[in-house]
Amino acid sequence: MDDWGKLLTRANAGDARAYEQFLRAIAPVLRGIVRSRGANLGEAGCEDVVQEILLAVHLKRHTWQQDAPVRPWLYAITRYKIADAFRARGQRVHLPLEDFVEDLPADAGPCPTEAADMARMIGMLDARAAEIVTMIGLKGASAAETGQALSMSEGAVRVALHRALKTLAILCERHVK
Amino acid sequence: MRTDTLIRALAADTQPAPRPARLLVAGGPVALGLALIGLWLVLGPRDDLVASLGVPQSALRFVLSAALALIGLRMVLTLARPEGRGLVRLWPLAAVGMAAAGLVAWAWLVTPPDARQMALTGKTIQTCLVTIPILSILPVAVILTALRRGATTAPALAGFAAGLCGSAAAAVIYALHCTEDSPLFYVTWYGLAMLGVTAVATLVGARLLRW
Repeated sequence: MDDWGKLLTRANAGDARAYEQFLRAIAPVLRGIVRSRGANLGEAGCEDVVQEILLAVHLKRHTWQQDAPVRPWLYAITRYKIADAFRARGQRVHLPLEDFVEDLPADAGPCPTEAADMARMIGMLDARAAEIVTMIGLKGASAAETGQALSMSEGAVRVALHRALKTLAILCERHVK
Repeated sequence: MRTDTLIRALAADTQPAPRPARLLVAGGPVALGLALIGLWLVLGPRDDLVASLGVPQSALRFVLSAALALIGLRMVLTLARPEGRGLVRLWPLAAVGMAAAGLVAWAWLVTPPDARQMALTGKTIQTCLVTIPILSILPVAVILTALRRGATTAPALAGFAAGLCGSAAAAVIYALHCTEDSPLFYVTWYGLAMLGVTAVATLVGARLLRW
């Protein structure tokens, strides 16, 4: 089993640190794939797609079978989500033809800073769910700390976080249509 | 939003997600059991069920339907995984289709010309075309629900597999009641009922199984 397989095995068994390591390991690879396919989306646009893929990987992580290699599984999700995301953007932003011609291939470059879509969709969550996602993600708070700040139990925070992430995926899906 | 931020939020979500196969293992037998009980109570098994199993051309109803159900189940389990789209094989389905066509041709030849019409239309077309789809509802619903928990990258094909598996299983159950023993009848009408259910499941899957 390769490194990704080991990390994902531990992640699926509930090891949050291994899981974070796994996500950090795959993110640059996904970024490279998205940029090579969607140079015309721009850096932030590509990052939107990368984030959509990460969210999909997260919600479907249990469909990976431990005895199967990680890469075919991961790339199948990536391909599916890229097709969706590009289709959505093809309908939403009509890029003039010249832009395709003039665009240079994406260079690996530094990790981009901001992507817009996910923040916008977090804004569409209810206030509490949005706050939980931001506190844990942005400020790196633990579920327990977040619970204290919002006077919720730690378990309730975990459940709310999980629901919020599922809702985000549904919102992503909806803007595809 | 930075990708870093998202990753931290994702990593904090440690809610375990159930594997898609688990729902199938738990819900599948229940759905089939209910369909079986329903058939038993409403229509009842045919009186000579045990004796009919000894007649090859009658027993083949069970064999063909069960084969299609197993092929469909295998497709479902493969397609529940993202990479399953590239792994799924359609030739077993084609093989059973050819076997069924061969059986019809053979039955056509051995049935006297003036009896063919009777063998084809039988007496229970309506019951067959209504009952098999009704018996399919629960199994197909369970399979589609299980697939939703999976991550298929071929929603329509996965819907097709769900319809095939569920309706073929329903045909096996219906065959316990059905007294039409000619392949001219059961290949045609069981086939048509399964085709209808599978077509609907394909359309439903194409919408429902997107993620």
